[in-house]
Amino acid sequence: MLVLLFKNFIRSKGTKIGLLFLLIIGFISLLTGQQFQEKQTQNIQEAAVYQKEHIAKNVKFHPDEIGLLLYYVKFSLVNNTLPINSLAIGQRDVNPSIQSVTIRGLEGQKYDSELNNPNNLLLGNIDFSFVLIYLFPLLIIAFSYNLVSEEKESGTWKIVATQSSNTFFYILKLFYIRILSLITLLTIVLFIAVLFLEIPLDKSFWAFYSIGILYILFWFAVCFFIVSLQKNSNFNAVILLTIWLFLIIILPATINTYIVNKFPVPEALELTVKQRNAYHEKWDMDKQTTLDKFYNHYPQFKKYPLPDKEFSWLWYYAMQQMGDDESAKESQELAVKLKQRNNASQAIAQFIPTLHAQIQLNEIAKSDLGNQLLFLDETNKFHEKMRLYFYPKIFDNEAVSNENWSKFKVETFNDTTEVHLIKSFLPLLIFNLLFLFVGCWNFRNKNSY
Amino acid sequence: MSLYNEILIAKHFRNSVFKNSAVFIITLFIGVLLLYATFSGWENYNNQNQTSEKYQHESREDWLNNPDKNPHRMAHYGNFAFRKSTSLSVFEFGMEPFFGNAIFLEAHKQNSANFSEAGFSNSMLRFGEISIAMVLQILLPLLIFFLGFNAVAAERENGTLKLLLSQGISWKELLLGKFFGIASVTMLLYIPTIIVLILVWLFLQNFTISLDETIKMILFIGFHLIYLLFFCTIAVLISASSKTSKKALISLIGIWLIFTIILPRGTQALGAYIYEAPSKIQFNSDIEKDILKQGDSHNPNDVYYKAIKDSLLRVYKVDSVQKLPFNYSGFIMTEGEKISSKIYNKHLETLLQVYAKQNSFSRATSFVNPYIAMKNLSMALSNTDYDSYIDFQNQAEKYRYEMAQKMNALQIKYISNIKPKDTDKPLIINKNHWAEVGEFHYQPKGILEVLKNEIVSIFSIILWIFLLFLLIRIAAKNLKAI
Repeated sequence: MLVLLFKNFIRSKGTKIGLLFLLIIGFISLLTGQQFQEKQTQNIQEAAVYQKEHIAKNVKFHPDEIGLLLYYVKFSLVNNTLPINSLAIGQRDVNPSIQSVTIRGLEGQKYDSELNNPNNLLLGNIDFSFVLIYLFPLLIIAFSYNLVSEEKESGTWKIVATQSSNTFFYILKLFYIRILSLITLLTIVLFIAVLFLEIPLDKSFWAFYSIGILYILFWFAVCFFIVSLQKNSNFNAVILLTIWLFLIIILPATINTYIVNKFPVPEALELTVKQRNAYHEKWDMDKQTTLDKFYNHYPQFKKYPLPDKEFSWLWYYAMQQMGDDESAKESQELAVKLKQRNNASQAIAQFIPTLHAQIQLNEIAKSDLGNQLLFLDETNKFHEKMRLYFYPKIFDNEAVSNENWSKFKVETFNDTTEVHLIKSFLPLLIFNLLFLFVGCWNFRNKNSY
Repeated sequence: MSLYNEILIAKHFRNSVFKNSAVFIITLFIGVLLLYATFSGWENYNNQNQTSEKYQHESREDWLNNPDKNPHRMAHYGNFAFRKSTSLSVFEFGMEPFFGNAIFLEAHKQNSANFSEAGFSNSMLRFGEISIAMVLQILLPLLIFFLGFNAVAAERENGTLKLLLSQGISWKELLLGKFFGIASVTMLLYIPTIIVLILVWLFLQNFTISLDETIKMILFIGFHLIYLLFFCTIAVLISASSKTSKKALISLIGIWLIFTIILPRGTQALGAYIYEAPSKIQFNSDIEKDILKQGDSHNPNDVYYKAIKDSLLRVYKVDSVQKLPFNYSGFIMTEGEKISSKIYNKHLETLLQVYAKQNSFSRATSFVNPYIAMKNLSMALSNTDYDSYIDFQNQAEKYRYEMAQKMNALQIKYISNIKPKDTDKPLIINKNHWAEVGEFHYQPKGILEVLKNEIVSIFSIILWIFLLFLLIRIAAKNLKAI
């Protein structure tokens, strides 16, 4: 029986075209991922070469004053890109994965954006997460909207009803075949991805795969529920597409607008204006006042008094430091706001499976806002480390040649946030069971089949 | 020519639509959504413009309040360019969430436009946004398809089609009648929307509107009307040529998905795949390399700058730069700024050409996809399109260059050529000079330029009008009742 049903399903022209279309677009998404991965790797390699040349060149030009040299020299920190990132590019196209900073004020450098074509961002990538979140449901709907209703409309349902002992099991079998073929498709594409993009078979990958399966099951559960209402095919198609539209466009967009308006970030502009003034006004202020503030922040440098000169590097870097210190409040507020945004959207997303799946996939792939915030935090630490390393050398005016400059390699930040399996699976699981249960209940209570 | 039969069919269709309670629910819902879109667009616009105006003003005050100092310090103090939105962007957000809102403008350095909404968002934004334009361009066409899929196909299924045709109604009358029917239902949503739109738009600008904005608004309304009527026509034609209403529905849903989701994303992704754009680090290091090739103004032994120095010494017949009658380092910086910005602009142009090539794929599909044509046109009218963004960056860069060179000129003219000793006070000029640099004002593109840029979209919309008229004629001749 099952074999016959399967043959019947797979022989249909629509099924073949649908599966083939999804398979091809799945491959295309892997190509997009591969190009993204190559670009990231190339950037990181280039950053390493660039930093080496850049430091060597500046050391050659400014061999006399270490203070002047460090005015120019940039150090890079890379946000490690996992291979699985190619499957869910997420926010990595907007936010740069490499930060290059001098030891001067950080707030003016930290938020520099990546170069990109806004048209690409608006219309979006075709990464695998897009194929999974947007297109799989469409095929699921196309495969299931007319189950039962089509047979009723063509009059063959009565034959089925009299021939099979339990029509409910018959319906389950119809779904079973369809679920199996789409999960097979998912498995094939991901298997190829593993080989093609060299994705390690670790916990992240299995979590990614499981969310994929749960997400597919979610849409089948929705279709099962709609079919259980036993309306006509046209009604099913309209209502399923409307649900798709709601979950894919309308609800996420509405929630996004809500979050943007609920947590506006004027701090960003406030911060930029403030850090500029905080640094620049010090040029026209009493030098000792600036230095006293600096000693307050770093008591260990009290042993370096203000030199009796119009200009000194100690004073200069103290001024730069004030740019950061006096805008620290705004910077902190901005970070808090962004965290609030991230938490609020994650919390709301639990109730919207499409959004939840997308956010979870990005989280696994380390391409979500959370990862970006951690990277910014790490940039702060990295910058502070470089600063504290060089400050005493600058204040002592150590010879440039005393320093082994080739040891300053590009550093890498690894986001080690663990994937919370329960947090990512549970919402999808609950929705699946809910729709399945209501669907079954409907079938049991309607004796019309 | 009397349209009696057409109007009769249209009325009948409209009545049958309103018997369906689902239509009421959907229409009501879209109405609520439109209100929400207007409200959030309004709030967004106000937030964006108030913040941007506030800080533009504040940073200008800061600039003017700087005490007497060396002009080169001012060149590093710099200015900001904050982006302002136009009134139509309340209804069409376009690429706005992906634009950086602030550029720091200083000497020697072209900074990136930072703080885009997208950078502060998690992936949610990528699902799209609720704006009036989105409802008009994406949701209403789908509603039209849902309303119209059984316009003719259902009559065919019921057998009433044969009755109608045998009673002397021609195919042309039937098609036009159904078209009027769907269009009139659509207008019940569209016209109130437009009225609200115009009121909001007038309130936003306190009833003082410019001619330019008015023309843009009229075109915005007019093109959306044509766009929606397209979809009414497509719905009728597909419904008339499908055997069953189910087939009509499935075809229409397919067309909608291809137009609004698959083609736009697919073509853009193809463009981005074929023409790969450099990343920031690559772009910047390429520029740096080119500048070094030309000469490094910070390197005292650089050949290029040494040649300039030697020729200056010859012309003024002096033996050291300190004896020149003007500030030498100001002169060198003027030269350096000129060279570096020329090189930067050259690289930027190459980059923008890559972007333009990436966009050319989706742009070319305007001829097959009215959604893309409409989207591009409405983004251009509301100054939220790609060209407007580039235009903003260009205006900011031009301002930056002029500011830097103005400060260099002040240095050349007023700063002594003899370097102060370590313990001397620094060389400064009077703060009144700061006002000589004007305030940055972003000037959105005018209507003529917008239309010139969007000639492809307009042309393709005109082409679509002809095509649909043609299709109705062909269909009227060739359609069969069974």
